[in-house]
Amino acid sequence: MRKQALSGILGVLAAFAIGALVLALQGFNPVATYGALLQYSLFSGSGFTATVTRAVPLILTGLSASIAFASGPVNLGQPGQLVMGALGATLVGLFVHLPSAFLVPLCILASLLGGALWSGLAALLKRAFAMDEFIVTLMLNFIADYFALWVITYPLFDPSASTPMTRPISTAAWLPDLGSVNTSVLFMVLAAVVCWLIMSRGRSGYEWRMTGQNSLFARIGGCKVNANYVRVMLVTGALAGLAGGLMIMGGPHRFVKGLGANYAWDGIMIAVVASNGISGTFLYGLLFSALQQGAIGMELVTAVPSEFIDVLQAVIVLVVVAGRVSLNMVFDRLATRRKLKESAG
Amino acid sequence: MNVLFGLVSAMVVGATPILLAAIGGTFTFYAGIFNIAMEGMMLVGAFCAVLGSFFLHSWFLGILCAVAGALIMAGIFVLFAVRLHTDEFLTGIALNLFAVGLTTFLLRDIFHVKGAFTDAGIRAIPAVKLPLIDGIPFLGRLLSGYNAIVYVALLVTVLSAFVIFRTRFGLRLRGAGYNAACLSSSGVPASTIRIWSLIVCAVCCGLAGAYLSLGYVRLFAENMSAGRGWISLTAVILVSGNPWGIAIISLLFGFFDGLTVFLQGSRIPTQFTAMIPYVATLVSLYLYSVRKRRQA
Repeated sequence: MRKQALSGILGVLAAFAIGALVLALQGFNPVATYGALLQYSLFSGSGFTATVTRAVPLILTGLSASIAFASGPVNLGQPGQLVMGALGATLVGLFVHLPSAFLVPLCILASLLGGALWSGLAALLKRAFAMDEFIVTLMLNFIADYFALWVITYPLFDPSASTPMTRPISTAAWLPDLGSVNTSVLFMVLAAVVCWLIMSRGRSGYEWRMTGQNSLFARIGGCKVNANYVRVMLVTGALAGLAGGLMIMGGPHRFVKGLGANYAWDGIMIAVVASNGISGTFLYGLLFSALQQGAIGMELVTAVPSEFIDVLQAVIVLVVVAGRVSLNMVFDRLATRRKLKESAG
Repeated sequence: MNVLFGLVSAMVVGATPILLAAIGGTFTFYAGIFNIAMEGMMLVGAFCAVLGSFFLHSWFLGILCAVAGALIMAGIFVLFAVRLHTDEFLTGIALNLFAVGLTTFLLRDIFHVKGAFTDAGIRAIPAVKLPLIDGIPFLGRLLSGYNAIVYVALLVTVLSAFVIFRTRFGLRLRGAGYNAACLSSSGVPASTIRIWSLIVCAVCCGLAGAYLSLGYVRLFAENMSAGRGWISLTAVILVSGNPWGIAIISLLFGFFDGLTVFLQGSRIPTQFTAMIPYVATLVSLYLYSVRKRRQA
C-alpha cells in the first residue's frame, strides 16, 4: 500500500514534469499553465464543487473497471453500459409520474438495470458461446452508442430541439443541489463505500479477487467461478449504468447527443493507473476530474488548448504503470540484498 | 450490374484498412505479443499522413510521415512493454488513449480546429489504373482503378505469408511466440524478434492510417479509426494469424462496411446500418466459437 502510494505520487510528478517539458517546447509557460489548472479545479469554490461533481461518472466507471479487472473479467464496456444506464433513467424519468421520493429510486434502479442488461448480454455470450468478453464489450459499446443515437433521433426526439435530444425528464426525478454540490455525489460516495466493503470486507469480494489472481486456485478452493463471473459482470455493468443515470438526473436532465462520449475510456484509464484498487480508483478519479475541470480555465487564461489534458492523462497512465513495475523491481532488489546481508551476517 | 460493381468496390475500400492493420497485428501475434495498440497506431498514422501531405505538398511524403508516426508509437510500446516489462495489455490501452489525446491536441494546436480538419491543400493518394487489365471490359472495371494503397495492401498480404512461413525471420518470429526461452537459448534473443515484429506492425498500421485520411477520405477527424484497430485484432484472433484467412475476413468486414454506405439511402435509419460492422464482428466471433466447439 505504501509502495503503491509512493510509486503513484512519483509517477504523477514525473508525468507533470514531462507535460511541463512539452509545454515549454511549445512556447507556453508551464508554471502559469499548471497554476491556472489548479486555480480553476481545486483552489476556487466553484471550481472545486465542479470538480467533485465531474468526478461522479469518472469514479463510478473507474470502480466498474477496477472491480472487473481485479476479479478476472476484462469488461471494457463501461462506455456502452453508461449509455444504456442513462437511457434507462431517461425512460423512467420521461414516462413514469410519481412523487420524488419514489421516482428518484426508481430512476436509479432503471439505470442500474440498463447497465447490467448490457454487461449481462456480454456475460451471456461468454457463458453460452465462449465469446471473449473483451471484444464483445468493445463492440457493444459502438452498438449502444448508435442505438442511443437512434432513440434520441426518432422515438424520443424533442421536436423543439435542433440537435438530437430527448425532452427533459420529469422534475421529480431531478437530483437537487446541496449547497453548490449536486446530490449525485452522495450516491457516488455511497456506491464507492459499498464497493469497498464488498471487495475488502465481504466474502464474495474475496472470492472474486482470488478468481482474478488465479481462477484455478479459486475453483479448487470451492468458489463457483462461473456464477461469480456473471455476478461480477452484472455488478460492474450496473456501476457504469449508475454513472449514466446520475449524469442524466444531476446534469442536463435529458439525454443529449454525445452524452458520455467524453468519459468513454476514462473509467478504464483510472482503473489501470489505480491498479484496480478501490481507494486508488477514488483518488485518481478525483485527480483526473480536477485535470479535466481545470482544463477549461487553463485554456481561458493561458491559451493552451484544453486537449493538452488528454495527453497529460495518457502520459500519467503510462508513467505510473511503468514506474510501478520498475519501482517494484528496485524494491525487490533492495529486499533481496538486505536478506542476503542478514543471512551472511 | 452497377450495383455489383458498387458493392465490390465498397467492399475493397472498406477491407483495406482492416487488412493492413490485421497483417501488422499478425506479426506481433506470431511473436507472442498481445498487441492491442493497432487502433492507436492507425490513428496517429492517419493524423501524421494529413500533417505530411498538407505541409510537404506530397501524398508520398504524407505516407512516409504516417509510417514514421506509427513507428514512434511502436517505439513507445517497445520502451514500456519490452524494455520496462510493463503489462502488454495495459501498455496497449494507455497507448490507444495517448493516441486519441495526442491527435486531438495536435489537431487543435497545429490546425486550430476542433473535430475535423479538411483543406484543399491536403494531397490525396491517387488511384492507380493497372496497365494491362484496365483495358479488359469486365475485369478492368472490377480490378483496376483503386487507390494505390489497396494494391500495396494486397502485396503486403502475399509478402507477409511468404515471410512468416518461408523465411528464416518467419521461423524465428513464430519461435518467439511458440517458445521464447527456446529461441533465446539458441542464440536469437526473443526480445529482438519482438521489436522487429512491432516495427513491421507499425509500418502496416501507418499505411492503414494513411489510407484512412488520404485515401478513404481526405481529412482528419478526431478518433477516425473508429474501432477498426479492434476489428482487425478480432480478425487476427479468429484465424489465429494466418494471412490468407485475414484477407478473407477483412473482405467480409469490407463487405459489411460497404453495405453500411450502400444502405444509407434506404429506409433503414443510418444509426442501424452503422452498427453493421460491429454486429458482424460479434457474429463472426460466434461462428468461430461454434466451429471450435465442433472440433473439440
